Amino acid sequence: MLLGGPPRRSPRSGTSPKGPQSSTGHVHFGKSPQTWPRRTRPRSPGLAAPSGVRGSTQPKRRDFPRRAWLTALSRYGARLWMGRRPSLPEARGPAPRSAAASRASRSLASPETSPSPLPATTRGAVAGGGSVQGRAGAQKEVFPGQGAGKMAAPMELFCWSGGWGLPSVDLDSLAVLTYARFTGAPLKVHKISNPWRSPSGTLPALRTSHGEVISVPHKIITHLRKEKYNADYDLSARQGADTLAFMSLLEEKLLPVLVHTFWIDTKNYVEVTRKWYAEAMPFPLNFFLPGRMQRQYMERLQLLSGEHRPEDEEELEKELYREARECLTLLSQSLGTQKFFFGDAPASLDAFVFSYLALLLQAKLPNGKLQAHLRGLHNLCAYCTHILSLYFPWDGAEVPPPRHTPAGPETEEEPYGRRNQILSVLAGLAAMVGYALLSGIVSIQRATPARAPSTRALGMAEEDEEE
Amino acid sequence: MSLVAEAFVSQIAAAEPWPENATLYQQLKGEQILLSDNAASLAVQAFLQMCNLPIKVVCRANAEYMSPSGKVPFIHVGNQVVSELGPIVQFVKAKGHSLSDGLDEVQKAEMKAYMELVNNMLLTAELYLQWCDEATVGEITHARYGSPYPWPLNHILAYQKQWEIKRKMKAIGWGKKTLDQVLEDVDQCCQALSQRLGTQPYFFNKQPTELDALVFGHLYTILTTQLTNDELSEKVLFLSEDGKW
Repeated sequence: MLLGGPPRRSPRSGTSPKGPQSSTGHVHFGKSPQTWPRRTRPRSPGLAAPSGVRGSTQPKRRDFPRRAWLTALSRYGARLWMGRRPSLPEARGPAPRSAAASRASRSLASPETSPSPLPATTRGAVAGGGSVQGRAGAQKEVFPGQGAGKMAAPMELFCWSGGWGLPSVDLDSLAVLTYARFTGAPLKVHKISNPWRSPSGTLPALRTSHGEVISVPHKIITHLRKEKYNADYDLSARQGADTLAFMSLLEEKLLPVLVHTFWIDTKNYVEVTRKWYAEAMPFPLNFFLPGRMQRQYMERLQLLSGEHRPEDEEELEKELYREARECLTLLSQSLGTQKFFFGDAPASLDAFVFSYLALLLQAKLPNGKLQAHLRGLHNLCAYCTHILSLYFPWDGAEVPPPRHTPAGPETEEEPYGRRNQILSVLAGLAAMVGYALLSGIVSIQRATPARAPSTRALGMAEEDEEE
Repeated sequence: MSLVAEAFVSQIAAAEPWPENATLYQQLKGEQILLSDNAASLAVQAFLQMCNLPIKVVCRANAEYMSPSGKVPFIHVGNQVVSELGPIVQFVKAKGHSLSDGLDEVQKAEMKAYMELVNNMLLTAELYLQWCDEATVGEITHARYGSPYPWPLNHILAYQKQWEIKRKMKAIGWGKKTLDQVLEDVDQCCQALSQRLGTQPYFFNKQPTELDALVFGHLYTILTTQLTNDELSEKVLFLSEDGKW
């Protein structure tokens, strides 16, 4: 098993780990003995040793069945993956400069695009504080492999914004984000809360460097794999098969319950989900979009669980929750005491499991039966917090934009509220005066100044009488 | 079933031994039954045989409607009716026969995961092939599904079922898939199963488990069913480990 460390991209192609790279004369590849671009940090000596050791464990893993399995792993087929491998080193060319440039030009303060899913200590040493420039500068030298910036526009990921202590509140967005973090893919992440703003109309959506838009999460991950950001590179074929099996388990057992907990369960929906989405979305979407999403989820759940009569709803619910609890227990047993599901390096399965579990754990649900069960499984909780602190360390600490906190909208609304009040009072006054003038209750006669006040007084008297 | 009812049922189930006249109901074998239902039925039969429990197979045209959950096969044991492999396994376990007792927790987790994989991918692919692939639908499925019924009921029922399956496919995201993508998924699933099996005779230890029964049911049916598109069976044939079955 790997000695800790993130999944690497595959510059170490099956046959000759260092051959193709050195031939193109990449500065960083030549400079450092480590084979993984993200590891080449001449300034952090702490890394050199483990990488060296890791390098020696690599050769065992290159065999045809695993490569064949790897193509099979992606559910929607990564046919091009093997064909593209040899061309990888060229793509990695003058990466650091372009990477830094692209990073510096990112529109958002996007800590998510930090490329190195390394242990917190080393990352802390490099990343430091929270400014984009600081991060870009600090990581300039540590990210030589980002040739994507050179070839075409960087990939852009649109996903739901964060809340409840998580980088994203949506299951799919969170899974894709986590996978991107694991692999260090250079994504320009746009955290938005308006699905109509995304290029495909739904979130998450990935705009690839060629302008194509992908919106199915599995396809996004497949694309990232094709772009050589593969978290499952070092898994054996058997582990790959296990990944497929466990993902099916998650989808069949845990997903319906998650959807039910967040969208169908009335109390949770009203107090947590709808509240967040309504606050996050801009006017006027926040009136109808959460409801529409809920209807879509409900329909999906109904189709998935088959037809059932209304009186069976409760029983069905109980059954669903029972299966979910069983699923969680199974996950806990599979994880055991390991750091990640397959040893010390996170894989795509970890991304999905983390997204499910994190949502369940972090959201403050009034009706949290499954949450209670999950809290009882300590290794899963530790697993979640571990990943959160490792890969999203500043998301929990960062002050969310005012719109997304409960206090935020109020303070924002205050000035608007006052202004609205004043405006509405003025509008009312203007309407009344206008009506009075137009209907003749009050008339202003430009007669002699001496007479004017009396006329006006007469007019007022009339008004008083009418009232 | 609610927890109380379930406990009650398992109590009752545990009380009686397996009767001799247990029956399994499925659709008519020759003319009506479809690939996916046949696979499920065969899986249950294999499972019961692995447990050494006698079962009689009875074919009825309306088996689908008789079943408590709407799915075939279902077994009628004593005065209880249980449908689908999952609940049947639990029911049989309550009676004291279990194939997976010897597995430890991690293996049980794996077994459940792989069963879900088969259900998720293989079964869905079979359903897709039967109901969403126009060629197969027109030539085989419609004709078979409605065969016991007079016109126009046979058409109505067939279209109704097709519409329902198509909706379900859309809900799980398979609506937009092409046949090639589906076959690729089947390929991946088979490869995963093959990897997991390795060179052992069964998936876990030396004993067959319900996973073996399920996989056998699906693979055997796929291999022996005539469809318009033989690619499915070709994909499955690549698993040479099947030979032993």
